[in-house]
Amino acid sequence: MTKYVLKRLLSAILTLVIVLTVVFVLVRQMPIEGYFDNYDKLDENIIQAKLDKMGLNDPMPVQLLHFFKNLLKGDLGTSARYSVDAPITGIIAQKAPVSALLGIISMILAMALGLPLGAAMARSKSKFWDKFGTAFIVFVNAVPAAVYYIYLQSYGAKALGVPMLFNRSEWQTWILPIFSMALGNIAYYAMWLRRYMVDELNKDYVKLARAKGVENKKITMRHVFRNAFVPMVQYIPTSLMYTICGSIYIESLYSVPGMGGLLVDVINRQDNPMVQAIVMIYSCIGIIGLLLGDLLMTAIDPRITFAKKEGAR
Amino acid sequence: MENKEVVLSVRDLNVKFSLRGRVLHAIRGVSLDLYKGESFAIVGESGSGKSVLTKTFMGLLDQNGWVDSGSILYNGEDLAQYKTEKQWLKIRGREVAMVLQDPMTSLNPLKTIGAQIGEALKLHQGLKGEEAQKRICEILTDVGITEPERRAKQYPHEFSGGMRQRAVIAIAIACNPKILICDEPTTALDVTIQAQILQLIKNLVRKYQLTTVYITHDLGVVANVADRIAVMYAGDIVEVGTCEEIYYSPRHPYTWALLSSLPQLGVKGEELFSIRGTPPNLFNEINGDAFAARNPQALNIDFVERPPYFDVSETHKVRSWLMDERAPKVEPPEALKRLTPEGGSLYE
Repeated sequence: MTKYVLKRLLSAILTLVIVLTVVFVLVRQMPIEGYFDNYDKLDENIIQAKLDKMGLNDPMPVQLLHFFKNLLKGDLGTSARYSVDAPITGIIAQKAPVSALLGIISMILAMALGLPLGAAMARSKSKFWDKFGTAFIVFVNAVPAAVYYIYLQSYGAKALGVPMLFNRSEWQTWILPIFSMALGNIAYYAMWLRRYMVDELNKDYVKLARAKGVENKKITMRHVFRNAFVPMVQYIPTSLMYTICGSIYIESLYSVPGMGGLLVDVINRQDNPMVQAIVMIYSCIGIIGLLLGDLLMTAIDPRITFAKKEGAR
Repeated sequence: MENKEVVLSVRDLNVKFSLRGRVLHAIRGVSLDLYKGESFAIVGESGSGKSVLTKTFMGLLDQNGWVDSGSILYNGEDLAQYKTEKQWLKIRGREVAMVLQDPMTSLNPLKTIGAQIGEALKLHQGLKGEEAQKRICEILTDVGITEPERRAKQYPHEFSGGMRQRAVIAIAIACNPKILICDEPTTALDVTIQAQILQLIKNLVRKYQLTTVYITHDLGVVANVADRIAVMYAGDIVEVGTCEEIYYSPRHPYTWALLSSLPQLGVKGEELFSIRGTPPNLFNEINGDAFAARNPQALNIDFVERPPYFDVSETHKVRSWLMDERAPKVEPPEALKRLTPEGGSLYE
């Protein structure tokens, strides 16, 4: 187990290095005009001095080496444009909690609504809940997210009588962004859970449980749900990614002072150190999510172990 | 035989299924009595309705199936009238338990063997905690699993096929039923294990005084375990009798054909016997004797009118026009003579 986790962590670090290198090289392909607010009016000397200061005139490998060296020291550097010379860790420490909180609540909400919906659909195959759920899933998957995000914001705000923009101190303004972020995942969980539960419901152990005299309701809860949840575990990391993707758009839509809005902002303003730092954090979350998914699987399915096969036990 | 108490009595049972808008008549007017403590076997080919018949005893028909008419009397109640799950929960496990065919898939892979037996114990005997643990170990020992304490904590994937079938039987026993239905209990098992499992069921039946119903297409299994045998064909019992009666003096042409198909009866070097044709399509209305179309010696009336039951003896009933006094005398196939211990005449 420990050996497996170590192995996975090593490959995770390799993935991270590749992702960072690619992003690092890409952001440096952008035109230098983007680094200045009033490029046209600036003197060539000033421009060069500023590029020197940002280290952008060094050869690329040198820049890259420099970046990784600092990273090893735990230094993410300072913001170049977003908030000049402010340490990035400070900016992120300020922004991350809001995003994390929104993300976690929306993930929990998605499970709390999506899983029961999927289970209800599987139980009432081709009756009301199944039809309702299918309509919902088709809608969420077919309509581009950006469209229903905007409608949810404008009509939702009117219907609930809450402000359109996010305000940390007013809990009512949390509702719409959280729900928007959860919507895709609710459909996602419901769709897959229904599918796996229908599969499981046709298995022999369900017949045996019925023959044993267990109530149908309890069979669904105790036997079927857990078995259907094993393959579902793989979808948790993916849904985490969905949440992150959604948050990038939703946070700027609702002016949430969080990481997602920040990423869009700093890409627009070509604040390279910030882009790198944020991309790194998101990659880390993704990689850890995948690892946790696998570990969770071993926790709920006794057939899956990381131990090497040692013949008969 | 000594006087027998009927535990379950089926009368004129008709079961239908709706499949893609068409109605399939799976059980066509079956009647049978199950006597207390006996071992009753239902034999027949795939699709003859043997499983469906026993499923109606527990309300386990698939959703598209229903009991169309007839009655299933048990303890003075008509199970055919049961509609709600609540009613069936009084029967399932508690009165009638089942051992399914494939032990590889009939256990929940995520629960320990002990937990799965414990679930039945809790439901039907109200045992919990340490008491239940003790009983689980006793039952596991009963079904021939050694080191029960350790084994109870293991998961199904840590058990071999034969061991899993023992665990499935342990679950059935834990329900403490009156009737045990074994739906092809050895079909999915290794031949070397089959005999062990059959012997195990036999021992348990004696110990717990169960009435057993075996469903099988393996006549070898039947000869081993059954007191009485019912031969099913196309959703109907065509012949029922004691083990000796069915093996040594069968009367129905289908039973003849079935027994002639035993490879043991073949002569070395000759082609094995097989029944020509296919069973009738149960979507269609069947006129006359369902087996007539495949029976080379069928009488004209076999195609027109369904034969009633003729009593051969007190225990032996046959649904064939051959038993009518006006029918011509048709001799059973030669091969069947090899079944009798002396190799002599089939009928004395």
